[in-house]
Amino acid sequence: MFELAETQAVTMRYGAFTAVDSVDLTVRSGEVVGLLGANGAGKTTLIRLLLGLVRPSAGVTLLFGSPPSVSGRRRVGYVPQTLGLYFDMTVRENWDFTVAAFGGGRADMPSNLSDVKDQLVGTLPLGTQRRVAFAVAFSHAPDLLVLDEPTSGVGPLGRARLWEDIRSSAEHGAGVLVTTHNMEEAEQCDRLVVMVEGRVAAEGTVGDVTGHRQVVEVRSADWKGAFEVLDAEGFVIQVHEDVLRVPSGRREVEGLLERRGVRATVTTVPANLEEAFVAVVSAGSRG
Amino acid sequence: MTWGLQSASVRFGQTPALTDVTFLLEPSTVTVVVGGDGAGKSTCLRALVGLVALSTGEARRPGRRQIGYVPATGGVYPDLTVDENLAFSGGVYGERGATLLDKSSATLERFGLVDAHSRLGGHLSGGMQRKLALGMALLHQPALLVLDEPTTGIDPLSRSEMWRIISRAAAGGAAVIVTTTYVDEAQRASSVLLLEQGRVIAQGSPSSIVGAIGGTLGVAHSATRPAGLSWRWGRAWRVWAPSGPLPDGVEPLQPEFEDAVVIASMADRRGEQLDV
Amino acid sequence: MWAMIVKEYRQLRRDRRTLAMMIVLPVLLLVIFGYAARFNVSTISTVVVGPQAEQVAAQLQAPFHVVEIDPGGDRSVAALRLKDGRAVVAVVTGRSSVLFLMDGTQLFPVETAESALGRMVQRAKASGITPPPLTVQILYNPKLITSWVLVPGLAGLILVFIGTLITSLGVVRERQAGTLEQLAVTPLRPWDVIAGKITPYLLVAAVDLVVIVAVGMILFHVPFIGSVATFALGAALFLLVTLGMGVLVSTVSQNQGQAIQLAFMVMLPQILLSGLIFPISSMAAGVRWISYILPLTYFIDISRGVMLKGAPISALWEPLLLLSVLAVVVLGLAMLRFRRDLAPSTRRSRTSITTHEQLAA
Repeated sequence: MFELAETQAVTMRYGAFTAVDSVDLTVRSGEVVGLLGANGAGKTTLIRLLLGLVRPSAGVTLLFGSPPSVSGRRRVGYVPQTLGLYFDMTVRENWDFTVAAFGGGRADMPSNLSDVKDQLVGTLPLGTQRRVAFAVAFSHAPDLLVLDEPTSGVGPLGRARLWEDIRSSAEHGAGVLVTTHNMEEAEQCDRLVVMVEGRVAAEGTVGDVTGHRQVVEVRSADWKGAFEVLDAEGFVIQVHEDVLRVPSGRREVEGLLERRGVRATVTTVPANLEEAFVAVVSAGSRG
Repeated sequence: MTWGLQSASVRFGQTPALTDVTFLLEPSTVTVVVGGDGAGKSTCLRALVGLVALSTGEARRPGRRQIGYVPATGGVYPDLTVDENLAFSGGVYGERGATLLDKSSATLERFGLVDAHSRLGGHLSGGMQRKLALGMALLHQPALLVLDEPTTGIDPLSRSEMWRIISRAAAGGAAVIVTTTYVDEAQRASSVLLLEQGRVIAQGSPSSIVGAIGGTLGVAHSATRPAGLSWRWGRAWRVWAPSGPLPDGVEPLQPEFEDAVVIASMADRRGEQLDV
Repeated sequence: MWAMIVKEYRQLRRDRRTLAMMIVLPVLLLVIFGYAARFNVSTISTVVVGPQAEQVAAQLQAPFHVVEIDPGGDRSVAALRLKDGRAVVAVVTGRSSVLFLMDGTQLFPVETAESALGRMVQRAKASGITPPPLTVQILYNPKLITSWVLVPGLAGLILVFIGTLITSLGVVRERQAGTLEQLAVTPLRPWDVIAGKITPYLLVAAVDLVVIVAVGMILFHVPFIGSVATFALGAALFLLVTLGMGVLVSTVSQNQGQAIQLAFMVMLPQILLSGLIFPISSMAAGVRWISYILPLTYFIDISRGVMLKGAPISALWEPLLLLSVLAVVVLGLAMLRFRRDLAPSTRRSRTSITTHEQLAA
């Protein structure tokens, strides 16, 4: 494994506003890295720094071992949220255009897209559109793939098929950077980088990020009553069917419910990724 | 009063968009409709509120003043301020004068929009726009809340807040139906509808859906696709054997809700149906 | 670069509306210009009154086209014919000189008439006949000032602009923002929505009209002889038609770009064929019928009639009635189509695929 893309203490300032604050990020060949963060956390700016689309105010960006360049960008495949496809052209036509634009010569379309190759992209279901977008981005055999929410909006089977494509490209040596808002997608990554207000607030595997965080589960015959009590206290409650998950300690929650006359059983359980994320973001943001 | 669809089918020309969909919505519950793009989730909701004509079956819903609807896109006027958007929505649903003002300020507070109250709708971030649209739909305290993909594409923090508001609405007595493409959100529902190409392939509470899958689930760590029905999960593969034992080298695994959803979709592809 | 050319070509081939504009429009313009754009007039409706009406009428040749001979009539009858718009030229006989009254609001016919008269006199002299003394009097716009004739028409054109284009954009904007569908779920009825949408534009257009007329009167000294009430009635009916067309355009447009294209295609014939620039009487019959279905044609009749001629409402009943009919038809169609938009649809919504694009934008 070697580093395909790397940032070292990279910082980006726009006037008084710091979009990216001293971030170290590495993407190695064969791995899938997930970039997670609230809007405005700096994910997009970080990617633009990584691709060399913008010069950092401080720090170093390396793309394939050297500062970003046009030839370096040729080795990158990028799929934005909007897919970057022309909806009024067929799959084949989109493929031809990208291959020609990247100067890759006559590459053949992958066989798994052959049954849709003459359909207008705009008429395909979203899952298929995403697979086409991915294949087109991969058409010039890039070493680094940057995917913006690759499975957003796709159904369970479509998502699984997309991840097969993504994993297989990683197994062929590419490095993949995925930005995501989706916990399921985050769980598919080898490593997560959580950004809050331009800084890396947490990093590591899903297990590392959730860490030893715990929440409590509240089971009650009167879930509505329990909810009202705890909601009024300002807790960020997750409701699953009729079980409440509250990011707080058992004693505190038991006490609150008892004082308001709500009967419930309260147990401590490990936090899930979303709860960990919310906790990280709330802790990491200043003001 | 229960609302919902009864054996509803919708055709757009020759294409079936929904086939024989039935669900009932009770007050103080959250029903989640899950499926990929094109599965018929939006059509389901639009049939429920009367935007789409049914070819067969029935839709039961309360009067217009009792419904709060937020479509998948839009719902907010980009060239009106937050205040003006709320005023319009309130006015349309018959709220006037002092009550309208009170409800508007309460909405601004609950949805965290107070600082942005004079900002144009088009200048709000995606997450705030969705929250405003939700606020507009809840202003008149509807008995039925219908939300089409309220959390698609917004950041996890806003999503968490959305669900808090949804839970609050249900706790306050409303019947809520939500569509989503995120399977993990479906776990929050008291009732889930899994749609694939307009058909219901699984229905019930999340725990009952997990309990209904037959066969055995396993995990394989090989580099190549293992034999049998399998799908990628992280670096590994999940394998499902509908009947009989798992293939060699595959360790059994307790299914979670997300696994159940994939398995239900696979079973549907193979022509079987999950019995819930 | 070649890849770019190929791509653009493939995309253009599929964009039917733009192709239609690029190919159909030039052809259309050519045809219109060929058949309609004529400044010289071939027939001028003429009325002859007075004791020598028959003889004089017999002597009048093309371009004069005698439509009425009234031996018992006098100057006031002749003037009335002009005011009512029955004729462009009214000849009064039985006086010391033959009096040619001409309708100064019809610039080109009058110029043609004058030069035709001049030629007739020349020919008579050339063949040794002494022509009788002739007097020409141009009513309503004696100096044949172009702006006097143009301003009433421009008022209408600007109303067409606001009515059709801007209204259509206003409704399409609603559709694009995704809020139109949502309105269907609210307690609002289709008529609430249309009326609510049109009313602000109606008010703005009314103010605009007053401003244009005022500026015309102050800057160009355009007269306003007739009844303000009649003018207002004509304007109100006309506005209803153009606003209704705006709503109609919006019901067949998915986005603002399409609405602009369609509104433009609807406005262009009105600019060219309504009598604003080219006189209707000079248009070839094959093209002239188009003028008769354009609302602007009738509004120009009314506005010129009221402002320059002081025509009473009885003289203008035809254009007023036709505008009313058009208003009912257009608004009715607009309501029907709009109701279809707000009613349970049997078509797939186009918004679903663009969900993610719009949110990402």
